[in-house]
Amino acid sequence: MEALYYIIFLPIVTGILLLILPERLKPIKAGITLVVALMVLYMSIGMYGQHPEIISLPLVPEAGLHSSWMAKTLAGMSQFMSFNLDHLGQLIILFAAGFAAIISVYSLIYVTPQKKIFHFYPFFLITLGCAMGAALADNLLLFLFFWGVMGFTLYKLIKGKDPRSSAAAKKTLIIVGASDGIMILGVAIIWKLTGTWSMSQLSLATASSLEVTAFITLLVGSFTKAGAFPFHSWIPDYGENAPPPSSAYLPASLDKLLGIYFLARICIDLFRVNPTLTLILLIIAVTTIIIAVMMALIQHNFKRLLSFHAVSQVGYMVLGIALATPLGVAAGLFHMVNHALYKSGLFLSAGSIQEKTGQVDLDQLGGLSSKMPVTFFSALIFALAISGIPPLNGFASKWMIYQGIIDFGQTGGIASQLWIVWLALAVLGSALTLASFIKFISGIFLGRRKSAFDNLKEVNFLMWFPKLLLALTCIGFGVFATSWVVPHLFQPYTGTIEYIGIWESSTVSLLVVFSLILGGVFYLLGNVKNMRTADAFLGGEAIQEKAGYRVTEFYNTVRELRPLKGLYDKAEKSWFDIYYLFKNLFYGLHYVFKVLHTGVMTTYVIWIFAGFIIIMLWLL
Amino acid sequence: MGEILYHFFVYPGLLFAGVIGGLLAWFDRKVTAQVQFRKGPPLLQPFYDFLKLLLVKETILPARGSRATFLIAPILGLFGATAAGTFILLPLFNINIGFEGDVMVIFYLLTIPSLTYIIGALASGNPLASVGASREMKLIISYELTFLLFFAAIVLKADQHMQMSQIIQMQAQSGPFISSLSGVLLFIVGVFCIQAKMGMVPFDQAEAETELSEGSFIEYSGTVYALVKLTRYIMLFILPALLVGFLISGFNLSGTGIIWAILKILAVVLLMTLIRNTNPRLKIKQAMRFFLIGMNGLAIVAIILTYLSL
Repeated sequence: MEALYYIIFLPIVTGILLLILPERLKPIKAGITLVVALMVLYMSIGMYGQHPEIISLPLVPEAGLHSSWMAKTLAGMSQFMSFNLDHLGQLIILFAAGFAAIISVYSLIYVTPQKKIFHFYPFFLITLGCAMGAALADNLLLFLFFWGVMGFTLYKLIKGKDPRSSAAAKKTLIIVGASDGIMILGVAIIWKLTGTWSMSQLSLATASSLEVTAFITLLVGSFTKAGAFPFHSWIPDYGENAPPPSSAYLPASLDKLLGIYFLARICIDLFRVNPTLTLILLIIAVTTIIIAVMMALIQHNFKRLLSFHAVSQVGYMVLGIALATPLGVAAGLFHMVNHALYKSGLFLSAGSIQEKTGQVDLDQLGGLSSKMPVTFFSALIFALAISGIPPLNGFASKWMIYQGIIDFGQTGGIASQLWIVWLALAVLGSALTLASFIKFISGIFLGRRKSAFDNLKEVNFLMWFPKLLLALTCIGFGVFATSWVVPHLFQPYTGTIEYIGIWESSTVSLLVVFSLILGGVFYLLGNVKNMRTADAFLGGEAIQEKAGYRVTEFYNTVRELRPLKGLYDKAEKSWFDIYYLFKNLFYGLHYVFKVLHTGVMTTYVIWIFAGFIIIMLWLL
Repeated sequence: MGEILYHFFVYPGLLFAGVIGGLLAWFDRKVTAQVQFRKGPPLLQPFYDFLKLLLVKETILPARGSRATFLIAPILGLFGATAAGTFILLPLFNINIGFEGDVMVIFYLLTIPSLTYIIGALASGNPLASVGASREMKLIISYELTFLLFFAAIVLKADQHMQMSQIIQMQAQSGPFISSLSGVLLFIVGVFCIQAKMGMVPFDQAEAETELSEGSFIEYSGTVYALVKLTRYIMLFILPALLVGFLISGFNLSGTGIIWAILKILAVVLLMTLIRNTNPRLKIKQAMRFFLIGMNGLAIVAIILTYLSL
C-alpha cells in the first residue's frame, strides 16, 4: 500500500520542507501546495471503494540501515503504525482531500504580499496530512498524534497579530488542547481495560463506570473538534478573526469531518452505547442546535453569524449518529458532508465580500447581487441548502434525520418515547436557521445598494470558481440524494437503509426546472412590453438613505421577547462559555492562593507545622 | 414521466388546484361580503383578477433592487405550492402512480411560498417590504414549531407512519382522528396554523394594508403579481385539504362522497373566513406569543392525550 504512505506523509513532509523556504517564494509555495493537494485527492479517489483491510506500515523501508541504532528504534515504533482502511475512513479522506484541493485553489490569492499569514501553506499541508492520518489510523496512539497536531496547526492558521485575534487563537488552543489531554486519559483507560491499542479490535459495552468514563472522555474530544455544545465556544471567535480560507478549511470542513468521524467510530464501532448515554447525546444534540442558532440570529458580523451555524449544524450530525440505526448514522454522515460543502462555501463567500468591500458588518452592506452575481448565486444556494429547502442537499440529509427520529420512536425506551421533542427542536432549529440566513443573504446581496458600491466588480476566477464548484455539488448532492449519493457513499459503511418515507429528489428537481420554464413562459405571455422600472414606492414619501429598515433589526422582537431577553443578556456576557467559566474558576482559585501567600515568614511556618501535625496524626 | 408531468401541471396539480383555489377565493370573498352586509363579487371574479394581472396590467420592476431575484422568487413560490399540492392531493384523490412525498416533504414544501415572498420582498429594496418580510419571517419561526407538533401528533396517531396515503387509510379503518378529544384539539391548532400560513387576519402582519400598504407585496404588480395570486389560490385549497386528509379521513370520491368532500373543504374555509372577519390584526409580538405559548401548549396537551389514547 504505497499510496497510503503518500497520502499521509507526502503532505506532511512537503509542509515541513516548505517551512524552510523563505516567505518571499510564496507563489512557489502556493503552487506546490495546490499540486500536492491535487495529488492527494487523486490518490484518495483511487482508494475509494477498496475492500476494507487493516494495514501495518513498517516505518523503515526494507533496504539498508538494518542494524543501526536508528533502524532499531524505528522498527520498534513500527508496531504502532497500523491503519484501518475501511469504508468510513475512505469516505472521510475522499472528502477531506476534496475540500483541501478546492480551498487551496481559493487561497492562491494569498500569494500577494499584502496578505500576511505567516506560513499559511506549510501548515495547510501539514493539516491535510494529519487529517488523512487521523481518519485512517487504527492504532489509538497514532490517532492521538495526528489529532493533536491538527489542534496545533489550527492555532497556526489564524493570524494572531491584533489583540482580538490573538485572544481567539489562544482560546482555541486552550480549549482544543485541553480536550486532547482529556482524550489521552480515555485512551489510557481503554488500554487498561483491554490491553490493546487497536480500534478495530475494540467493542466495549458502556456498562461499568470505567467504560463510561472512557467513552465520555473520547466524546469530549470529538465534540470539541466538531464544535458541539458545551465545547463549541472557540468556533465563533475563530471564525470571526481567522482569514476566511482558514475558517473554511478547518472549523467548517476538516474539523467537522474528523470530529464526526470520531464520534461515529466511538458510538458505532468502539463502544456499544447504553440507553442513558443515548439520551444524553440526544439532549446535547438538540441543545447545540437551538442555542447556537439563537445566538446566530442576533449577530451583526456575518463571519460570526456563519460560525454560530457551524456549531448549530453539528447538533444534527450528533442527533443522527446518536440514533445508532443505519438510517440515523447515514443521515448524520450525509449531513456532515453537506455541512462541509455549504459551510466552507459560505466562508469562502464571506471572504470574497470582505475582500471586495472591506466590511464584515451586515449593517454596512446591501444590494450587491447584481454586482457580484456568481458570489450571490452560490451564496444563495448555500443559504437555502443549510436552511433545508428542498430539493437541495441540506434538505435531503435533514429529511433522513427526521425519518431516523420517527423510526427511532418505535424502538421503546425513554429516549425513544421523547421522539417528538427531538423532532420538534430539530425542525425549529431549521426554521431559525432559515431566519438567520434571510438576514445574511438580504443584508449583503438584497435591498438597496449603497452608492459607495456602485463600481464594485465580481471577484476573480480563482475566488469564484471554488464557490461555484461547491454550489453545484450542493445541487448535485440534493438532486441525486436518494438515487446515487446515499447508496454509493454511505451505505457501504452503514449497511442497507430502509426508508419509511418517500422523497424522490431527482423527479422533484426536474419539476423545479419545468416550473422555471413555465414561469418564463408566463412572463413572456404576459405583457413584457409593458415592463418598466421605477424606484421603490413609499406612498409618496421621498426615500432617504437613513430611512431604510435594516436586516439587523429584523429579530429585535425575538431578542426582546421576555423569557429570551434574560438568556441573551447572559449569553452576551459569556455565561455559557466553558472557557470563561473555567477562566473565572482559575482566577477565583488564584485569588484564594494570593490571600494565603502573604510573604510573611511566620504564616508559612504555621502552615508547615499544621501540615506536619496532621500528617503525624494520620500516621499514628 | 409524462404521467407525473400531467399530475403535476394539470390534475390535481397546478391547473386543477388553481381553479378550485380560485373558486374558494370567491367563496371566501362572498362570505366576507355577507358578513359585512355587502353583495359580494360574481363567481368568476378571482379569475378575472388573475387574468387581468397576467395579461393587461403593466409590470413595474424596482429600479435599485435585485431584479432577477425579484422575478424568479414568485415562480419558485408557485412551484412550492404546486409540489406540496400534488403530494397532498394525489393520496386524497386516491391516485397511485408511485409518485409520493411523505409528510416531512409536504411540511418543507409548504414553507417555500412564504420564503419566496420574503426573498422577493427583500429583493425589491423597499423599506416597507422589508418590514413586511421581517414580520413574515418572525411569524414563520413562531408557527413552524406548532405546525410541526401538529404533524408529529398526526404521525403519532398513525402509528409512526409518515405517508399521507397511510394516514388516510388508517382513518378509513379506525374512524377519523377528529373523533377523539386530542383530534379536536389538533384541529384547532391546525386551523390557526394554516390561517397564519395563509397570512389571513389576525396573522396578516406581513401585508397589513393599513399600515404597510401590502408590505411584502408592495412592489409586485402585473404578470409577476399574477403568479403570487395564483400561489395564494392554490394554498387556499391545499391547506384545508391537508387538514381534511389528516383529521377528517380525507375524501371518498364515489356517489354522495363527492358532496361530503366538498362540504368538508368548504367547512374549513368557512371557519377560516369567519375567523378572519371577526378578529383584529395582532401585533407581531402578540402573534408570536400566541403560537409560542398558547398553541404550542395546546399541541402538547393533544400529544399527551394521544399517548393516553384519548
